[in-house]
Amino acid sequence: MGNITDSELAGSLRRAVLDADPALSRYNPLSRILVFDQFNSGTHGWTELIGNHDGEGNLDTVDDHMRDFRPPQLSSCTFFDVGTHGAMTGTYALKVATRPLAGHTAVAIRRLTMAKKGLVQFETYFTYKAEAASEENGAAQQAGAGEWDGNIHPSEQQFGAFTVATDICDDRGVRYHCVARYQNTDLENRFTRRWMYPVVPEPTPREHLEGKAKLAATDDFTAPNPDDWRYFGEPQSFCYNEVPTKVNWHYLRWQLDTEKQRNVELQVNDRVYDMRDVPVPAYEERYDSLDNLLNFYVSTRTHTNVRNFLFLDSVLISVDW
Amino acid sequence: MRQSQAAVLERYRVLEGEFATEPYEAGWATEARWFVQVLRASAPDVKVVLTTQVSPDGLHWCDAECPPQVAEGEGMVSWPVREFGQWLRIRGSVEGDEGSVKVQIYLTLKE
Repeated sequence: MGNITDSELAGSLRRAVLDADPALSRYNPLSRILVFDQFNSGTHGWTELIGNHDGEGNLDTVDDHMRDFRPPQLSSCTFFDVGTHGAMTGTYALKVATRPLAGHTAVAIRRLTMAKKGLVQFETYFTYKAEAASEENGAAQQAGAGEWDGNIHPSEQQFGAFTVATDICDDRGVRYHCVARYQNTDLENRFTRRWMYPVVPEPTPREHLEGKAKLAATDDFTAPNPDDWRYFGEPQSFCYNEVPTKVNWHYLRWQLDTEKQRNVELQVNDRVYDMRDVPVPAYEERYDSLDNLLNFYVSTRTHTNVRNFLFLDSVLISVDW
Repeated sequence: MRQSQAAVLERYRVLEGEFATEPYEAGWATEARWFVQVLRASAPDVKVVLTTQVSPDGLHWCDAECPPQVAEGEGMVSWPVREFGQWLRIRGSVEGDEGSVKVQIYLTLKE
């Protein structure tokens, strides 16, 4: 046996301890686990994102595009054909569901702060689905529905996009968003299956109040202009598994560096995307009341009049501080 | 300690005629309670009839065994639901040709 250093031994021991726990062994956390959310035991702080309101609590003052992001649900992944599918861990997953309205976005957010700058990593097991068709929802007649060929199901082309993103602000008021979006179909419901990022910061309620931005209810709140998005990496296909009622869980690991205000890399199953060169535009203005903000959000956006669902089995957020 | 959850299913939304809230999964909960807050009514006597519906799959719906509730004018109405199975929603109707209401609708759930 060769010599091993103390740090190598510590690393091996740490990994062995993680591997002894079936729930943790499927993750690759950085040195400190900040949160480990298994949705079989509740929502764990994931809540609906909403825009800001005035001093009187009048929700009419919430921006139109930020007032209907839908409450997340604890879902048993139950479908009309088989009944309860269940989650990867136990029965319940967190479900983020849009309305059946083209352009509608549903967003769930987790609010934290940073005790130090450095590496931050978001991991999850996820899946996504368009809603199965019924007489009432009319999904089979909506845009994106095509012929069933026995393999690709029409509903797969009715899933628009899902996004993992942050809202980060340092102790000097410098605020920025790291964003990674999987675009399954473009706005014309054609498969693109690409990862993408925005080149502009998300319009904020303050910018609206200052007259700099005014978005409609179904505008893309992360970056409303489709021209402000760029693809990265090669197209990636997932295991939608042919129909809207089969759930296969996918691994996602996304690492950021809050010291450098950059992405590091995104791993989704067998692909690892180097994101170090992806630009992360900060707001020109400084923000108060957000010192060391560290928010994560997940969203799903439908590109047709069919509900889109993003399911998370569990989430682990870790840091190197 | 028992788990609980409150969800805002409609927020400052103006309703008229027939409507249904978005499906909400609540299979983990034993008890539920709706709160429908009418923030503004187009007339003091505008009535909203609210019927609780249940579903096994989120796609196909029928009325639950609890009686329809009626909200008249502004204010808040609330009612409990149990043994609802998996999914819950409200099917509603704003009565009157020109009737409209602005509502906030909460669904509260408990293990």
